[in-house]
Amino acid sequence: MLGQVVISGLLAGALYSMVALGLGLIFGVMRVLNVSHGPLLMLGAYTTFWLFHWLGLNPYLSLVVSMPVLFVVGMVLQRLFVSRVVDAPELSTLLLTFGISIALVNLAQLAFTADLRSVEYLTGSFVLGPFAFSKSRVIACAFAIVITAAAFLFLKATRLGKAIRAVSQSREVAQVCGIDVGRIHLLAFGIGSALAAAGGTLVAVMVAIQPEMGQVYTFKSFLVIVLGGAGNYPGALLGGLLLGLIEQISSLFLTTQVNEAVAYVLLVLVLLVRPTGLLRGRAS
Amino acid sequence: MSTFLWSLAGALALGWSLGPAPAYAQAPIKIGASLSLTGTYAKPGTYQKEGYEVCADELNGKGGLLGRKVEFVMYDDQSSTQTAQRLYEKLITEDKVDAVMGPYSSGITESVAGISEKYKKVLVSPLAATTSIFRQGRKYIFMVISPAEVYLEGFVDMAAKRGLKTIAVINEDTLFPKASTAGTVELAKKRGLQVVLQESYPKGNTDFSALLVKLKAANPDVLAAATYFDDAVAITRQMRELNVNPKMFAVTVGGDIPEFYTLLKTNGEYVYGSTQWDESLSYPGQKEFLAAYSKKFKHEPSYHAAAGYAGCLIYAEAVKRAKSLDAELVRAELLKLKMRTAFGDYAVDQDGFQIAHKMVMIQWQDGKRVVVWPDDLANGKPRFPTPPWNQR
Repeated sequence: MLGQVVISGLLAGALYSMVALGLGLIFGVMRVLNVSHGPLLMLGAYTTFWLFHWLGLNPYLSLVVSMPVLFVVGMVLQRLFVSRVVDAPELSTLLLTFGISIALVNLAQLAFTADLRSVEYLTGSFVLGPFAFSKSRVIACAFAIVITAAAFLFLKATRLGKAIRAVSQSREVAQVCGIDVGRIHLLAFGIGSALAAAGGTLVAVMVAIQPEMGQVYTFKSFLVIVLGGAGNYPGALLGGLLLGLIEQISSLFLTTQVNEAVAYVLLVLVLLVRPTGLLRGRAS
Repeated sequence: MSTFLWSLAGALALGWSLGPAPAYAQAPIKIGASLSLTGTYAKPGTYQKEGYEVCADELNGKGGLLGRKVEFVMYDDQSSTQTAQRLYEKLITEDKVDAVMGPYSSGITESVAGISEKYKKVLVSPLAATTSIFRQGRKYIFMVISPAEVYLEGFVDMAAKRGLKTIAVINEDTLFPKASTAGTVELAKKRGLQVVLQESYPKGNTDFSALLVKLKAANPDVLAAATYFDDAVAITRQMRELNVNPKMFAVTVGGDIPEFYTLLKTNGEYVYGSTQWDESLSYPGQKEFLAAYSKKFKHEPSYHAAAGYAGCLIYAEAVKRAKSLDAELVRAELLKLKMRTAFGDYAVDQDGFQIAHKMVMIQWQDGKRVVVWPDDLANGKPRFPTPPWNQR
């Protein structure tokens, strides 16, 4: 039993890591906690659904549409709204992104109705001995690993990636070194949104799609980046896997009822004992 | 006077004379309700709203109620008890509606029942199935559907008759599923089934892996899930993913909605659902209701729609008999009333608790809902046992 639960936990965790990395990136670069991260994920899921529904496009292939589309949506949001509050107190950024979140959910309700949708694709599982590996979750996990790795490589090895990391370490110094901070902000929000979209696309194959599906991912991503250390990118990876495991294992030994409580109790403990996260994040 | 004013006056006069002749001498009867049009209960809530609308059309087609047109004032409570409470206060105190009808779900009905009692408004509650709501000495609330506790009576009966021995019961941790679970567990024990697992999960839960892993280890013959809709779909899907294979699997709510199959496609096969009503049943007025409903909404009704429709007709019948909208008079009629609608039988005890209505069990067979229980209403036989996922 434990083995199966660990598998489920890691599969879910890889996805959390990827989605949370998007949130962490935006937070790291701009100190903006993007509450609309989950709704952006929801838009990614709907992109996949409509492409599947109207064009019969393979849901995994729709990553090449949903990620660029949400990349652009993210940049537009950044340019029009978020850029105005980057240096404002935290409460303003929270309120603004919270507003965007409500607007996105309600627009989605108007445009797509509250009907549940699903992408019925790959619904079975691979059975290996006593363990069942849900096909859609295994593939989602694989994609999440590849996309997260690509994002890391980008951050580590490319000039732009280094610029992003420079801005998240110290905006002033980065500016002095000739980095166009505004452009980096734009890019970070775009990439963050694209990562959310990738999450949406992958989740679309696993759960029912509806306008309110995203919010829970906002909370989970938030949890993940606090666990891992806000602004610490590898921390997001660790935090995601950890959250996946905690949720599953606590449901197994306690009840499904309390798994979220366990995760949040852990959050409080981490904040009390190691406020910078398990891997040291940047104190804010 | 300028030409503009003349033309304005002309237009007004023309509008006046061409306007529809007033069919009713008095102001319309306004009936208020809040329904879950978004959020977790959006699907059933929307069906219920459509049921109310068909009822209003029917009443108005027959000359209204007490010679007055019937108009519904409906708001979206977003599946939230707090919002619903606010809306019923608003309906009664600001919109000054003449009557109120129930919202969707037991939880929300429980939360607004205090308000309708406070203002002494009759609250016919077509979609509240939890017994406790009606056993608190409330005077003005009336139940239309069968109580939560007997939702899976047919399922337990079928399982016991087939000699199955063990059962697992899981539920969403809210008022109605909890009551169905308690009832199911009691019925199962009475029929000699051993309960090997009983667990609840929070509302809005989407990942059931750990719960299903536990379930797989407990290996029950029968799985009963007291669900709404989203969870019924998610559990069925994840059972397939984790290869969980009970011989019979039933959900309480959600399994009977057409969208259950639209979302799950063939994975919905063999799943049992309990329902308050099925369109294949031959109750009086059934054909007319189905025709009017599909004409207006271009899709098939669920039992929520039929219950909403019937609840509204039952209220209207009591008003007709009382010849008044007065809550005390209508209440007295509702307590006495015995009525058979397209939804089945209505009769209540002194608490307004439903005692006449009957549940049925359906099973998805080749994409169709087939009524498999009770025998006298069934239009097919259950496909038993449910084959393992890898042999379908």
